Amino acid sequence: MNSDVRARLERIKSTPIDGQVLKKLVEAGLTWLRVNQQTVNSLNVFPVPDGDTGTNMVLTMQSAFNEINQLGHHGVGQMAAAISQGALMGARGNSGVILSQLWRGFSRALHNQEYLDGAALVRAFAEARDTAYKGVVRPVEGTILTVAKDVAAAAARAIHETDNPYEILERVVIEADASVQRTPDLLPVLKQAGVVDSGGKGLFYIMEGMLRLVQGEPLDSATAIVQPLSSMVLENTMDSIESGQDYEVIVDFVPREKLNLEKFYSELENIGTSIQVGEGDGMYRMHIHVATDQRYAPIDYVMKMGTITKIGMENLMAQMDRINEKAAGDHVDLANIEPGQIAVVAVSPGVGISRVFASLGVAAIVEGGQTMNPSTKDILDAFENLPTDRIIILPNNKNIILAAQQAKDVTVKKVYLVPSRSIPQGLAAMMHLNPDGETEAVAARMTKAVEDVKTIEVTTSTRTVEIDGVAVEEGHVIALVNGKLAVSAETVEAACLGALEKAKAADFELITLFFGIDLSSLEANRIADVIRAAYPTQEIELQDGGQPHYQFIISVE
Amino acid sequence: MGEETTALGSIQISPNALASIAYHATLTSYGVVGLAPKNLAEGISATITKIPARGVSVHYNGEDIDIDVHIIIEYGTRITSVADSVAGAVRYQVEKALGMPVHQVNVHVQGLRVSNSD
Repeated sequence: MNSDVRARLERIKSTPIDGQVLKKLVEAGLTWLRVNQQTVNSLNVFPVPDGDTGTNMVLTMQSAFNEINQLGHHGVGQMAAAISQGALMGARGNSGVILSQLWRGFSRALHNQEYLDGAALVRAFAEARDTAYKGVVRPVEGTILTVAKDVAAAAARAIHETDNPYEILERVVIEADASVQRTPDLLPVLKQAGVVDSGGKGLFYIMEGMLRLVQGEPLDSATAIVQPLSSMVLENTMDSIESGQDYEVIVDFVPREKLNLEKFYSELENIGTSIQVGEGDGMYRMHIHVATDQRYAPIDYVMKMGTITKIGMENLMAQMDRINEKAAGDHVDLANIEPGQIAVVAVSPGVGISRVFASLGVAAIVEGGQTMNPSTKDILDAFENLPTDRIIILPNNKNIILAAQQAKDVTVKKVYLVPSRSIPQGLAAMMHLNPDGETEAVAARMTKAVEDVKTIEVTTSTRTVEIDGVAVEEGHVIALVNGKLAVSAETVEAACLGALEKAKAADFELITLFFGIDLSSLEANRIADVIRAAYPTQEIELQDGGQPHYQFIISVE
Repeated sequence: MGEETTALGSIQISPNALASIAYHATLTSYGVVGLAPKNLAEGISATITKIPARGVSVHYNGEDIDIDVHIIIEYGTRITSVADSVAGAVRYQVEKALGMPVHQVNVHVQGLRVSNSD
């Protein structure tokens, strides 16, 4: 730490915390939480895995901040009371309600106080914990509540060593981090999913944001983190390229000495955007998007840090042109329905799959799939305007069956739901569509056909986890057979072969492979050839499915 | 009520079993300090009950499962958010245990408990 930085820190540490300082701290906490919002969302598996913890906490904190944004000079007690009021009014979701309770306790402890000193901070953390615990009959440990409890305990310990509130905050943040890391040991559902508690992590980010403000660290970009090489997402599928993102540059290098990540990131931020740094086997990989005239700058910069082993450069503008050309080819010719006929609505994750559905007589497509479940309204909109009252819905994903069911409940049309849980099941059902038949009988036949086919889905695991006795590592390719995890492998090819074996493909006749947007057609063809060699008596068909996330969706029938 | 037929025979799930899943999901939900009897005939409406069937009612008409929960909320929490969370948690836990969709979860806030009056 150089003397300027140290002097600044000393100056801040001697600033008493009045209402205005507290406001700045809250703003920093909110900003930092917002930057890390998606991370918090992605951890959300408890109590309901709906991926909204980060968003709910941001909205709650935003409402708290809106309440104080315009407030002028006030004591810390009045400021905290306003924060508490704002958090209460904006509390969203479970974690938001708990957060508002924490603020409520925090503010109660500071009633009528001018300044927040060390002793008051300890009291406030304790009161926050007590208030939060009062709001539930059966507190579940391993959640934001546990983190709040550990934070209060850490503050109570810290006061014996220092009465400076900033220094207490420093210790509290360290404990909050450790407490969040311990949550999987307390709550089995977290351990099973291989995550830490989302609400606890959110609370940690709020306090870390405050500390970063004190320490003069940037709050506008996510922490400079090094990720495992396997989890770096280097092929962005973008809708548009912002200016200054003409080239993608990837540099592999071995640093001469230990990298100072903060510095490394901030230097790179002067050169370009979309910065990622990965590490593995003593080697680092740097990824950045830069403007045309800057395309060699990252290479020159990294050269100073160590030995470059490999450089990759791609013209993103040219890549975009290809994507745009492809988009123009996204038109799907849907089946025309005569009044009174049965119309089938199918949910499809990709244009190639939509085309196959259309060729089999589907009258309307709803875009959606595993990570983008369509709403009831999306499904409703797809068939409300069709010139018939007889509708059959193919949800093609188990998570969409419920929305389809609700669409059925709210419309006046006569709707039957064929509970297809995968694309292959949906396609198998379509083989039995007779648009002029009696709706119930047709739906029953289609429902029966769903069982005739086996489904294999191949995707990349986003976390390390063990499910159904299969150990999966983050970044590995996994294959699900009929929705159950069956294989984890290092390559797409190995995952396909393993899953086909598990599905006893040798006993069937036809294997259809739909490859997704993450796979080039060259690679898809190569894997199809390997499968052809392994299953010489089966007919193998390869189709461009165009689905995201899944390298392959395979139907075995 | 909740009925499923398998190769081995049929499985029946009683409303009481569902009620106790809903009861536990409700009690671990943040902001809920207790369940309350459904109506005055069963007791004074704002007294907290420990019998699941008293605070939760389950209706099944052969097609749809509807669940009503009657709760007491901690004073000072945002009531709509707490009620939303309860509905979400009950639906998720029941559907997870049952493997059948729940049609409706209705949350009735019967009272507030004041632990601290700021």
